[in-house]
Amino acid sequence: MRLNASTVWGPSKYYVCFLKPEVYPDKLYAFFFFHLIIQRSKMLSIFNSIPTHMDYKGQKLAEQIFQGIILVSAVIGFAYGLIIEQFGWTVYIVLGGFALSCLLTLPPWPMYRQNPLSWQPALPETTGETQQKPQESLKKKKHK
Amino acid sequence: MNTVLSRANSLFAFSLSVMAALTFGCFITTAFKDRRVPVDIHVSRVMLKNVDDFTGPRERSDLGFITFDLSADIKPVFDWNVKQLFLYLSAEYATKSNALNQVVLWDKIVLRGESTKLNLRDMKSKYFFFDDGNGLRANKNITLTLSWNVVPNAGILPLVMGSGHMSVPFPESYETTKSY
Repeated sequence: MRLNASTVWGPSKYYVCFLKPEVYPDKLYAFFFFHLIIQRSKMLSIFNSIPTHMDYKGQKLAEQIFQGIILVSAVIGFAYGLIIEQFGWTVYIVLGGFALSCLLTLPPWPMYRQNPLSWQPALPETTGETQQKPQESLKKKKHK
Repeated sequence: MNTVLSRANSLFAFSLSVMAALTFGCFITTAFKDRRVPVDIHVSRVMLKNVDDFTGPRERSDLGFITFDLSADIKPVFDWNVKQLFLYLSAEYATKSNALNQVVLWDKIVLRGESTKLNLRDMKSKYFFFDDGNGLRANKNITLTLSWNVVPNAGILPLVMGSGHMSVPFPESYETTKSY
């Protein structure tokens, strides 16, 4: 589905003052633009269909990875800031660690999907089990 | 941790906790540091006047004019937890009516990164040196000291007095200038 101007700048819950781009500072303009794109995309539900799940071992791995990265960057940042006597650099290094761990753990990379749960195959359909089968297939769809 | 938002939430919360711990560490490394520095103050000229003081209860009060020299190197006070220093020169003395008087004559804000060698000559006071009454005339001992307030990035704001002061007596009569 194409995202053209009419889908982005439609009526919205938040009424933004539509000033010309030259009048707004650039960053503020970009912020409003992306905010409305995200709102529109939630209603368009193209992003709802992108899968973001990980399996359980993957979640544990992701948590260990980001905790490790942030702790290491905190130690490095503290030492560096202490040496050059500027606390600003400590904050910058921790923010860099935060950005790196965002990149590594937020998107569902394949390394987090190495151990998928193995579901039992669906039972053959009989008259007594017609009620169970829709429930099982519903479960399968949710945890995919 | 199954969705992006839940992962982002726990990642952000963990980063904030780590940042708070780092800020506390920054405070702890500089909390017990001695922030005194030797200061050299010299007074070159003193004059006294007796003028109408509309802010006080009496008709005329003593007004002093001091011209001073100031030199100090405040570089050792700055470290990674200091944002700026607020320096002020104060005069302290005793009179018959008040046991202790303290008047701020001059102040300056020094940000981190600015030059830290103070070498001021023939400075006039920024603020009026009014006395609460007529106690400045023939006062034997007026002590000038330079103090500073350390504004940190994280932690307490200590008030430190520099380790150097200068005492001058004031003249006996009005409208006469005394030079040192």
